[in-house]
Amino acid sequence: MSSGKKMWSAALLATAVLAVTAACGSGSGGGGDSAGGKTVLRFSYWGSDARQKMTEEVIKKFEAKNPTIDVQGEFSDFASYYETLSTKVAGSDAPDVITLEIRGLREYADRGTLADLASKVNTADIDAKVLGTGIIDGKQFAIPTGVNAFSLVVNPSLIQSSKAELPDDTKWTWDDYVALASKVSSGSGGKVTGTQLSWNPAYLQIYAAQKGEPFYNGNKLGLSPQTIKDWWAIMQSLIKDKGAPDAAKSSEIGATSIDQSLLATNTGAMGMWWSNQLGAVTKASGQQLDLLRMPKVQGATSSGMFLQPAMFYTASSKSEHAAEAAKFIDYMINDAEAGSIILSDRGLPASSKVLAAVKDKLPDADKKTLEFIDKVKSELADPPAAPPKGASAMEDILTRYSEEVMFGRMTPDDAAQKFITEANASIAG
Amino acid sequence: MTDVSVAVKPRGAATQPARGGHRSTQRSRREARAAYLFLAPWFAGLLVITVGPIFASLYLSFTDYSLLEEAKWVGFDNYITMFTEDPRFLSSLKVTTIYVVVSVPLQLAFALALALVLDRGLRGLSIYRSIFYLPSLLGGSVAIAILWRKVFGSDGLVNAVLAIFGIQGPGWVGDPDTALGTLILLHVWTFGAPMIIFLAGLRQIPSSYYEAAAVDGAGIWRQFRSITMPLLTPIIFFNLVLEIIKSFQSFTQAFIVSSGKGGPADSTLFYTLYLYLKGFKSYDMGYAAAMAWVLLLIIAGLTAVNFLASKYWVFYGDTK
Repeated sequence: MSSGKKMWSAALLATAVLAVTAACGSGSGGGGDSAGGKTVLRFSYWGSDARQKMTEEVIKKFEAKNPTIDVQGEFSDFASYYETLSTKVAGSDAPDVITLEIRGLREYADRGTLADLASKVNTADIDAKVLGTGIIDGKQFAIPTGVNAFSLVVNPSLIQSSKAELPDDTKWTWDDYVALASKVSSGSGGKVTGTQLSWNPAYLQIYAAQKGEPFYNGNKLGLSPQTIKDWWAIMQSLIKDKGAPDAAKSSEIGATSIDQSLLATNTGAMGMWWSNQLGAVTKASGQQLDLLRMPKVQGATSSGMFLQPAMFYTASSKSEHAAEAAKFIDYMINDAEAGSIILSDRGLPASSKVLAAVKDKLPDADKKTLEFIDKVKSELADPPAAPPKGASAMEDILTRYSEEVMFGRMTPDDAAQKFITEANASIAG
Repeated sequence: MTDVSVAVKPRGAATQPARGGHRSTQRSRREARAAYLFLAPWFAGLLVITVGPIFASLYLSFTDYSLLEEAKWVGFDNYITMFTEDPRFLSSLKVTTIYVVVSVPLQLAFALALALVLDRGLRGLSIYRSIFYLPSLLGGSVAIAILWRKVFGSDGLVNAVLAIFGIQGPGWVGDPDTALGTLILLHVWTFGAPMIIFLAGLRQIPSSYYEAAAVDGAGIWRQFRSITMPLLTPIIFFNLVLEIIKSFQSFTQAFIVSSGKGGPADSTLFYTLYLYLKGFKSYDMGYAAAMAWVLLLIIAGLTAVNFLASKYWVFYGDTK
């Protein structure tokens, strides 16, 4: 009998333990109002280990100033960031402060996930047009952290050693660009390739703007099939004239990170990226790299280039700590102390005051970026509004059809039509 | 026959005379209850973590669900869209089917061939066995998929070897014509698990069969065809069913080798990869759930066909 009793109590105990642990699990996951009387504020962001270290440092400074707030950073790499974030939101477990990029902004804002931050965060020192990119349907859902411009990165010494000359970027055309690239490839005896292909929608956006077409027109593409085909023709002639690697190598390079790009490995002389990546490519290549204006369509009146926020801080509409969330965002954006740690990690600071305060502390590559942006500022188009919901898939869609064309598996006509159809379907919903 | 019934009787008789039957059933009932209580935590887990989500996904497959908003009921829309308006769905199905149809037989043939060699009683068999099994442990891992990129890259190992013979190899993973081939190769390379099972199966075949056949003058090929193969068919069948199910669900390899996009030009867009892209990148979890159920039906259908067909070729030694 006694053994039966023991068994019963053991079984009951096991069940009880399970129930208790389950309760614990849900308790800590449910937002956690206090940790030793402090308000817990969850802040999600993506990036490298270096960014995590830097962010933790800023969080410590913020907590020292606001002893009643305990900020918990929720960090992941970019590839898995949106997965984690969307599942958290789906599970009613959204972080209080959420970092988003412009492509993801409407996905979240249009679905009621974000809170209006107007007049809750001081935005007096942010350029109105840049700030405007965070406004959706009249509400300031997002505060830009810093800005970037999509531009051409060049390695001047590789161009010269390939017996080619640096272009005058104030008036060079796409034909000049293709010619220069193939000259580098041939002049270096194949050791250095002129450039590598980019399927970044920002590139197409700049090209289309030079032809007077917007990328998005409300919830539809504003691109004409002809523009897309002309754009593909640039890349086709790059491949044909050996200014860029063949289609297979290109798609292989395109799938790797920036550290393995031709420019970063000193096997290519040019490439296109967001200006804040100059630091990363420079570091990987170990050589002197510069930013250039994008080439232009013959006779174009606009450069098509534009400033775009690198990231945005947003707050969850479901947050129970809206005031603290706004306070934290305000600190990240406006405090020179935070700025002096973050520097240009989240784009060149959007706040002009912070930018002025940290200017001299910037690493060399970022000083160069700042100089470049100052130089071209007057030629820039207005920062485009956040793309419609569904635009986060645009780069994948564009890459796919571009590759079909480069491999000759689809005619440009066919691919342009199909691209427009699929892209429109993706952003219509 | 009589032998058997005689043999059974005493065993049955042994349980009969437990005269204190009342007490013992009470005791066993109590034990059963305790067992159920012990099982309760596991059962709760099964309900909450497995069965619950399965039915939730069935429900979601009939909805438009972005993860960020409430799910909206749309009936069979997701299923209809899949087969009528989504060329990428069909192309992912095609890619996956090619992958399964080519890689599974190749892998099994390879596994069987190696098992036969190892069964010959090599010295240091266990070392070889471990070495050959190693890829199976690693094959599904991220590290190997990254290594694969390097090996088959345009400046990779394969092309370096080809260059010795003066052949300029293509960028294997970057070319839509060859990218899937590299993934098939990766799958074939992870032949370890079926090989171990084949090896165990081979050990089950009594050596007296071979001795008898040898006496009758059967050569190695004849022995393989008439003894090894028929006796091994249940094992082959087992491996076949398992590998088909497993390869339909392949994900990691394509995810890493194509940087999570199924590229170049959708040539490595596996079914599960597309499902993932739909669910997490396009915020279309309802559609992804519907795809998961279609995959379940496909796999269940294929497995059923497999079992039906097995009647005609699988030989269970004891049935005839």
